[in-house]
Amino acid sequence: MNAKERLQAALRHREPDGIPIDFGGTSVTGIHVSAVAALREAYGLEKRPVKVHEPYQMLGLLDDDLKEAMGIDVEGAFPRDTMFGFANRNWKTWRMPDGLEVLISDQFVTTTDANGDILVYPEGDLSAPPSGKMPRGGYFCDTIVRQPPIDDATLNVEENLEEFTPMSEDQLEHIRCATAAAAATGRGVIATFGGTAFGDIALVPAPFLKHPKGIRDVAEWYMSTATRRDYIHGIFGHQCEIALANLERVRATVGDAVDAVFICGTDFGTQASTFCSVKTFRDLYFPYYKRVNDWVHRNTGWRTFKHSCGAVEKLIPSFIEAGFDILNPVQCSAAGMAPEHLKKEYGEQIVFWGGGVDTQKVLPFGTPEDVRRQVLERCEVFSRGGGFVFNSIHNVQACTPVRNIMAMIDAVREFNGITKRDTRH
Amino acid sequence: MTDLKRLYDAILDGDAKTATAVTKEALAEGVNPLDLVTNHMVPAMDEVGKRFECEEYFVPELLISARAMKGALELIRPLLAAQGSEPVARVAIGTVKGDLHDIGKNLVASMLEGGGFEVIDLGADVSPDKFVAAVKERGANLICLSALLTVTMPAMKTTIEALTNAGVRGKIKIMVGGAPVTPQYATEIGADGYGENAISAVSLARQLVAQGSEASA
Repeated sequence: MNAKERLQAALRHREPDGIPIDFGGTSVTGIHVSAVAALREAYGLEKRPVKVHEPYQMLGLLDDDLKEAMGIDVEGAFPRDTMFGFANRNWKTWRMPDGLEVLISDQFVTTTDANGDILVYPEGDLSAPPSGKMPRGGYFCDTIVRQPPIDDATLNVEENLEEFTPMSEDQLEHIRCATAAAAATGRGVIATFGGTAFGDIALVPAPFLKHPKGIRDVAEWYMSTATRRDYIHGIFGHQCEIALANLERVRATVGDAVDAVFICGTDFGTQASTFCSVKTFRDLYFPYYKRVNDWVHRNTGWRTFKHSCGAVEKLIPSFIEAGFDILNPVQCSAAGMAPEHLKKEYGEQIVFWGGGVDTQKVLPFGTPEDVRRQVLERCEVFSRGGGFVFNSIHNVQACTPVRNIMAMIDAVREFNGITKRDTRH
Repeated sequence: MTDLKRLYDAILDGDAKTATAVTKEALAEGVNPLDLVTNHMVPAMDEVGKRFECEEYFVPELLISARAMKGALELIRPLLAAQGSEPVARVAIGTVKGDLHDIGKNLVASMLEGGGFEVIDLGADVSPDKFVAAVKERGANLICLSALLTVTMPAMKTTIEALTNAGVRGKIKIMVGGAPVTPQYATEIGADGYGENAISAVSLARQLVAQGSEASA
């Protein structure tokens, strides 16, 4: 099997010749730029600054040579604009606070405040209020909430819709090129088109907009899901209509070059529970997810990818009923998310893309042997009958020991060797 | 006479306007502010906690109840201070240096306030010396440290070390929390306890304060 066939088999719940591996395919399955740089060195690859393709979480681009060295089976196609609203064009050199030299878009424009924190500006526009902040000595950004005063008497759904617009021809052309380039690698393709994330709390503050209006404060948004439900329905309803129209144009442009599409990254789980009841999920989110997933399944061969951190076991039946094909990151360390239970209960109905190793404790703080042991256990459980794409539980974070990342990759290979894979790529 | 059950219900339902209005009415009628807190607001937040633990309430409901409680408390706090009422304990809370994620910390702060604690909210990305200053200059006797990121967890250890080096460790209790934090990690770094969520943090804070009182008795 080649990489694409391997991914496709896993997505169709058939056992491939080895577990397909994704790193770098999406903004939630990536690797921090410092860890990418460390991996390049550890694998003995050409020493050069790594590109930051996602400047919010500071995710590094995995070039072809590193993907080959790690045995990656998945290629990502990304939308034109980053979380800060600019495109990854005209790479410039930039130094991380720890001194690591990286390449980043020349529209990644920063200032440093009195505290030594680095401020980032939407669309690289210094005349707009900064929308991101990297704390002094930090490794990635967080959003700066810019919440105008809220007056319920005049609050208008339109104000929360600025980011949901028909795709421009340039954006569409970017998607065409990105998807074609991803497909040309021969790997399986996961694409992020944008616009289909309903209430993703990372997107609510809109770090990509210069002057966001409506409800943009994180706590205010969460409260609004309980107190202003009609308003939220209003946003989601409009967003859904626009997203479906955009998807139709994207489909016409990329066709079946795409194997999976990242639909939504809204987190529904905390470490111990869910952010809302199943009833709220089914009232507030389910109808829109169902419309999007149904459209994708009716019109394309794409598999739909849902990211949600945390203890979401109680919501998995609803995710499945809403038409999601893939769950990520499969946070096994959260309550009720034991791998054996998930595989037994839901393994035939949803693909687990993630869950390969814990990134809160084992990968950053364990020994290489701890990593190996957990990866082998997870592969054993999740790979039965296909339906598993190997990835760590969310992005590999900064400061993760490179020997542990390599131990993780080696362990997947060890497992795949046991299953007597014929060839790799 | 104002029906004070309305205050309890307003906090439970997250109705900030009613909570504030009833509190104003009650205070105007001369109701003892401490009675409002002890017999109506704290029990309401305890019930919110119970509903959260049995998954009847979730984060949005916690937030709106906490907001209602805070609105009422803002009216009451100056009166309590004027009376010389002592809080259960004085808590300094913040996310540790380098960590900007403060939703969990805010929830814990609100629930502690609802539980009768005086809360000094140091905010996000708080350096160790600010925690030390909160103890030395503002009399905090309970410290709550929050971290969401694996890369900022070590700042919990350095904060505890700073409190030790400043010679105040023996006077205070320290509790830690946040998604990647575990009870084992709390023990490793010399904290006195780990709170899994905002509700258990209040129970833990009460336990630690009781221990502190026993130790000093």
